[in-house]
Amino acid sequence: MSHTVLVCDDAIFMRTMISDILTQAGFEIVGEAESGVQAVEKYRQLKPDLVTMDIVMPDMGGIDAVREICKTDPDAKVLMCSAMGQQALVVEAIQAGAKDFVVKPFQPSRVLEAVQRVLG
Amino acid sequence: MDHAGYAALFLTESREHLRACNQALLAWEQDPAAVEPVDALFRAIHTIKGMAATMGHDAIARVAHSAENLLDALRTGRVTVTPGLLQLLFGAVDQLANGVEAAGAGTVPAAHDGELLAALDRAADGGAVGAATAEYAVHQILPAGRAVSVAIRADAQMRGGRAMLALRRAGSLGTVTALRPAAAAFEREDFDGRFTFRLESPAPNEEVVAALVSVGDIAAVTFEDAVPERAEPAARGRQIRVDLRRLDAMMKQVGELVVARNRLVDLAIRRGDPELEATAERIARLVGGLQSEVIQARMTPVGEVFDRFPRLVRDLGRDLGKQVRFEMEGEDIELDRAVLDEIGDPLLHLIRNAMDHGLETPEVRIAAGKAPQGRLLLSASRERNSVAIRVSDDGRGIDRSAILARARRDGMVDAGTDTLTDDQLLRVLARPGFSTARTVSGVSGRGVGVDVVATRVRALGGTLAIQTAEGKGTTFVVHVPLTLAIVRALLTSIGSERYAVPLAYVAETVEFDARSVTAVRDREALVVRDRAIPTVHLRDLVSMNDGTAPKYRPSVILEIGERRAALVVDALLGQQDIVVEPFDAPRGMPSFFGGATILADGAPALILDAAALL
Repeated sequence: MSHTVLVCDDAIFMRTMISDILTQAGFEIVGEAESGVQAVEKYRQLKPDLVTMDIVMPDMGGIDAVREICKTDPDAKVLMCSAMGQQALVVEAIQAGAKDFVVKPFQPSRVLEAVQRVLG
Repeated sequence: MDHAGYAALFLTESREHLRACNQALLAWEQDPAAVEPVDALFRAIHTIKGMAATMGHDAIARVAHSAENLLDALRTGRVTVTPGLLQLLFGAVDQLANGVEAAGAGTVPAAHDGELLAALDRAADGGAVGAATAEYAVHQILPAGRAVSVAIRADAQMRGGRAMLALRRAGSLGTVTALRPAAAAFEREDFDGRFTFRLESPAPNEEVVAALVSVGDIAAVTFEDAVPERAEPAARGRQIRVDLRRLDAMMKQVGELVVARNRLVDLAIRRGDPELEATAERIARLVGGLQSEVIQARMTPVGEVFDRFPRLVRDLGRDLGKQVRFEMEGEDIELDRAVLDEIGDPLLHLIRNAMDHGLETPEVRIAAGKAPQGRLLLSASRERNSVAIRVSDDGRGIDRSAILARARRDGMVDAGTDTLTDDQLLRVLARPGFSTARTVSGVSGRGVGVDVVATRVRALGGTLAIQTAEGKGTTFVVHVPLTLAIVRALLTSIGSERYAVPLAYVAETVEFDARSVTAVRDREALVVRDRAIPTVHLRDLVSMNDGTAPKYRPSVILEIGERRAALVVDALLGQQDIVVEPFDAPRGMPSFFGGATILADGAPALILDAAALL
């Protein structure tokens, strides 16, 4: 059975791109969220194997969302999607419980490597 | 582990970090909201702590630890920075410096200052004392676990994030302590991807490696014995430390090689053998290259000496109740290490003088219609073969009339003299003994140390000049040669004797022509481009009065700052690199010789001290 993924990003463009990369690699996108609040809600509903999480989103940012998700499920596998220059935020997200991160602009190979590590 | 071998390294590195501490504190004081200085301070103190603990200097480590705790509290916002806290941290840095110097001198560092420690700990108690305490305890009592060093691949994205992942993975295997650099470094984009920590865990090394590598982008994981690690690996290029004595010895050898080369070239030319001449020429070029390489290796930016002054000025300002904006320029100008080592104290004197006697208190300045904050400028600039260092204040200037009255009374100038030029003023100020006159208020202390400064600068083959305007400020200008050991000189002669004039002070050479001679205040002067320059006849100086002076004689125009003199010689013989030999003047030897040298043909020659002639 293929792994299920929840994609969280406030930009449709980014959600589409990540979904394409993961779908082509055989993952099943079970849901999308465009805010931190939505991400937390959908995680509870869908219990996906993996979450990709943008750092900066309206209505609760990605870091707070990771914290909330990990509170209910310490084993949650969250992959942060960050932009260059957000090193400090990435470090914070890891401390909050994120399992790995990828840096925009995305290279499919790097995204898949990170996903393999997180699920590995 | 034998720590003795690390003692010298500990001393030099600690001094570097302490200098960084002072710089960071000063920057922080200027801008209490800034984050960078706090991080820099934290890093430096953390590194000192680690080194001191490894060396067994517990007293130093204890102070560093308490300071670090306070900094952590400040950094995380548990405690808010106040001037009092900054002062406390300045005190802690001083205490660390004392400890480090004591350790360097081989004496046991004094037991830690209980009061300071208590104050630091109290200040840090604005919140819970964090992980640093645990780290310290582990580090102090017994470095637990193995030292792990991790390098992240150079092409990895966000190495700080990767480091944090690796660290968390390591934490899942056991207890992580003694992390270097501190975790805060991971949040900076310039984190270079290397970090070390101690891991206390039952897991075998292979398992640790596998766990760390699994986070991705890990280039290397190594295990090692604890050795003080540089917190900031040499990013400035590959460097090694060399004992200065080695460079001195090398310089001496090169100096002798230069003399031998000059001799060889001279002989080759006389033999007239083209093959020998070509070989000699090639050796001459190679020696020249070697010489400039060795000199270059000794060149050090003046910033190394300047760096200690911002703190000094700040402290003096506080003590004297004066507001001052201290500026530095040209810190990257380079000088021979030997010159640099000697120039620090004279500059210290000049800066103290400027703070103490030059700059006024805010009240006095406001009354004089000036801004309450005074300005003090320390600058370095390259001028021909010398470096000019200026200490300039915008204070009250020097009261010429008071100095003049004093000088007249002491018979230093003619009773008829009614004004003092800057040069005369300096000569009066630099008279040993003048400094003891404390009767003229506002000026009394002006002489303090000026004689000392002048003497020290002269000993370096340099010169001291002053420019002052009442009410507007005073500038002291120190000229020092770039290097002490080898100088380029103009060779001149009187009869069969030869004399070397350092080129650093030669402005030009002109013909000494009776038609262009005039008299200025009963003194002979040479007119060069409408300017009368007082003449000095070398024949008179060396008491060569046999009437054999050639009819047409050249003169060498010497120049130091604004001062000029025309040195009249019999002949000019050309330029040569000369090696300055330390010179103990025999009794009765005129003071205008600054040293001796061996010329290309093996004969000795005296080196003229341009400053003494002017």
